[in-house]
Amino acid sequence: MSRGRGGITAFAVALVLLATGCSQPEASRAESITLYTCVNDTTVQPVIAAFKAAHQGTDVQLFRAPTGQLDARVASDVRSGGLKADVIWACDPLTMQDFVTQGLVGGWTPQTEIPEAVRTPDYIGIAMLYMVAITRKGKPAPANWKDLADTGKVAVPDPKVAASALGALAYFGTDFYADLKSKGAVQVSTPDDVTTGVAQGLYDAGMTIANSAYAAAKSGSPVTVSWPKPGAVAIYGPVAVSKTTENRQLAQDFVTYLTSSDGQTMIGSSGSYPTLPGVAGPTKPANSATVQPDWQVLASEKAALLKDYATIFGA
Amino acid sequence: MVWASWSVLVASAAIVVIVPLIMLIRTSWVEGRARLAELLTEPGFRTAIVHSFELSAAATALAVPIGVAIALTLRDPRLPGRAFWRAAVLLPLLVPDFVLGYSWLRAYARGGLTSEIFGFVWSGVQGPVGVAVIVAVSAVPLVYLIITVGLVTRAEPITERAAHASGAAAITVLRTVTVPLLAPAIATSAVVIFVLTLGTFAVPQVIGTPAGFSTITTRIYSDLSYGSDPQTFVDATTLAVLLVIITLVVLGPADVLLGVRLQQRRTSTADLDWPSGTRLASTLKVLILASYLIATACLPLLALLSAAITRAVGIPSTPANWTWDNFAEVLTPRTGAALGRSIVLALTAASILLVLGLITAAVGRTRPGRWVSVLITLTLVLPGSTVAIGMLLGYGRWLADTVVIILLAYLAKLWTLAHRPISAAVDRVPPEGLRAARVSGATLTTGLGTVALPLLRVAMITAWALCFLTALHEVTMSSLLYGPGSETLAVVVLNSADLGRVGVTAALSVLVTAVVVLPAVALWALTRRARA
Repeated sequence: MSRGRGGITAFAVALVLLATGCSQPEASRAESITLYTCVNDTTVQPVIAAFKAAHQGTDVQLFRAPTGQLDARVASDVRSGGLKADVIWACDPLTMQDFVTQGLVGGWTPQTEIPEAVRTPDYIGIAMLYMVAITRKGKPAPANWKDLADTGKVAVPDPKVAASALGALAYFGTDFYADLKSKGAVQVSTPDDVTTGVAQGLYDAGMTIANSAYAAAKSGSPVTVSWPKPGAVAIYGPVAVSKTTENRQLAQDFVTYLTSSDGQTMIGSSGSYPTLPGVAGPTKPANSATVQPDWQVLASEKAALLKDYATIFGA
Repeated sequence: MVWASWSVLVASAAIVVIVPLIMLIRTSWVEGRARLAELLTEPGFRTAIVHSFELSAAATALAVPIGVAIALTLRDPRLPGRAFWRAAVLLPLLVPDFVLGYSWLRAYARGGLTSEIFGFVWSGVQGPVGVAVIVAVSAVPLVYLIITVGLVTRAEPITERAAHASGAAAITVLRTVTVPLLAPAIATSAVVIFVLTLGTFAVPQVIGTPAGFSTITTRIYSDLSYGSDPQTFVDATTLAVLLVIITLVVLGPADVLLGVRLQQRRTSTADLDWPSGTRLASTLKVLILASYLIATACLPLLALLSAAITRAVGIPSTPANWTWDNFAEVLTPRTGAALGRSIVLALTAASILLVLGLITAAVGRTRPGRWVSVLITLTLVLPGSTVAIGMLLGYGRWLADTVVIILLAYLAKLWTLAHRPISAAVDRVPPEGLRAARVSGATLTTGLGTVALPLLRVAMITAWALCFLTALHEVTMSSLLYGPGSETLAVVVLNSADLGRVGVTAALSVLVTAVVVLPAVALWALTRRARA
């Protein structure tokens, strides 16, 4: 039994160590906020570091996860004591609009030069995603989106999984997808799955986000990135302050920083496209055109749209 | 002792299984019952249920015979290189779930390794057949381990030799003696594989989804991804609850009834090996085994390695294109800390699970004990994301962002993996032996230590190792439950996946594999030296 008891003691010690190892409030609670985001570490870590450097003695605790996990986390928070984030930085306006509708975030945005097109009274767009075409080297890059279906075996991301794909669906409409499907297109999960699939040669072409496509091309994958006419579909990633934050001032300071020239420059230099005019970002062809879905209409019609779409690419 | 065991069992089941399940059921019932009829009549729902069952049946039908055949083959002491093959058979366990689908696509699909080297493309890999094959072969080591435990504890070479000496052909000995003795182990492995496949997500998502093959777990994922809308979040919890109910309906009666019928009381024997067949037959078996392992483990692992050392996806993996950049990106202090935390978590979870598995197996002979074993299977069938949601709903208020909540989720998800291999061996422990020990003056602890534990040693090591590896490779639950200071490897994995960096993700999985394999090989070498 002594061995058994020793073992149990060891578990208990390990548990205590694990439990204590996770409580490490470096800054006091009053100087600390929690950020929930789906933006990748490449962008969010330098931005947080720059904010902390400019606001000595403050801390930004981070929960970063893909949109699905982020949504599940928020939904679970709501059902177990309330939202634990002070600021949410989402990857698309529809997700944020859902949070606003539930009364979780909103009610304040800072003064900024960021265009009205990516703002509402509750949240403000601070980074852009562009849905572009990616083709395998040797296949014709589509000059127009309607040519995509004729480039070979095409892959599209799932609009139920990736908000950027939902934005594209809202812009193109279901007929566009029906045409793709009739010519053998398949639906994968995320835009990155499209990029990897086209790079490997599983598919000849597809629809993916610019950051992912350019990263593959830069690393040497045999792919071409194009911005077909009438333009890349633009999806903005908005930020909003929690309605129940206990540290409203610091949360607002953080959002103000993200929308400032310094914050936008940091976002632009760390791999994301900023929204403040005149701030440099990652690769973008000269004279590249962009188009936007009508987010307000989409917010109210997305369920019907997805239902129609499901008849094309299955349930 | 009995009272203490039941207390630990009931308290643990309440904390890690019942509370999260009740929270999921409550959310689904309170917020989703109005939509239940609509959800059940959606054509997509029925298709997903059918696909899930077809996949589970196919994977079980493939994995169980292969696993049994391998276990019986490796029982032969005259098999050339048996020690090596016994280790090699476990290779598929080393490929983490989060790169499993990709490793097979990279190995066999268009533009993959076999296409580069031999010009061979297996188009079926990108469809339901591919999903079933990959899920099955990754489950084979589990079947093999459970059957091997069964062989160690149940085989009766004396009876087999007697049958053989009496003129029975090898196949007759197998059919009339060996397989019936193994029935509990075979049934256990079939139940585990069936349930595990019902809850499997990564491979159906990566390979099934593009082929239009949706399962309940991929639907749950899809609903959760769209979960900023409260309705789809509730739909996801309802689907998870339905999955639990289906498992309960299918598994409960089978498990409880089968458990009694398959129980056997036999005395153990130290003579385990069973040489069968000629030298030529042994060589042939080795050749088949080698081909199987090359196709199902070596090539996918090689594909992963080549992805990790190649500078981009889609270019040939020739020396000119090799790079260490992916590893350089992985080898950061942050990855080190996350990996360290994952290892500590996996070690802790596996060790606690071993104790829980032993207790569950010990009480498994009683009727309430059998229901406990059904109960803990219910969280195995749930996709990781819904187990995590159950935990957050139950304990998020107090434990959110701590490693304790991640640990609880691991215990919930893996309890059955610890319990089943032990339970397949436990009825071998003779109560007479224990009684004899007690009558001779031994304490209960000494009795258990000297009579029961030696018989269960292999089962315990198997259970522990399975739980450790599965916990170490786990991504979905911890990525939803972590917080500042409790980041696990999953957080690093998902970030690189989010960036579309397949090479970096592959490098991470190679690193994780090395972290497991190198100490294991060192330990094995040391043990052999010590024995020598």
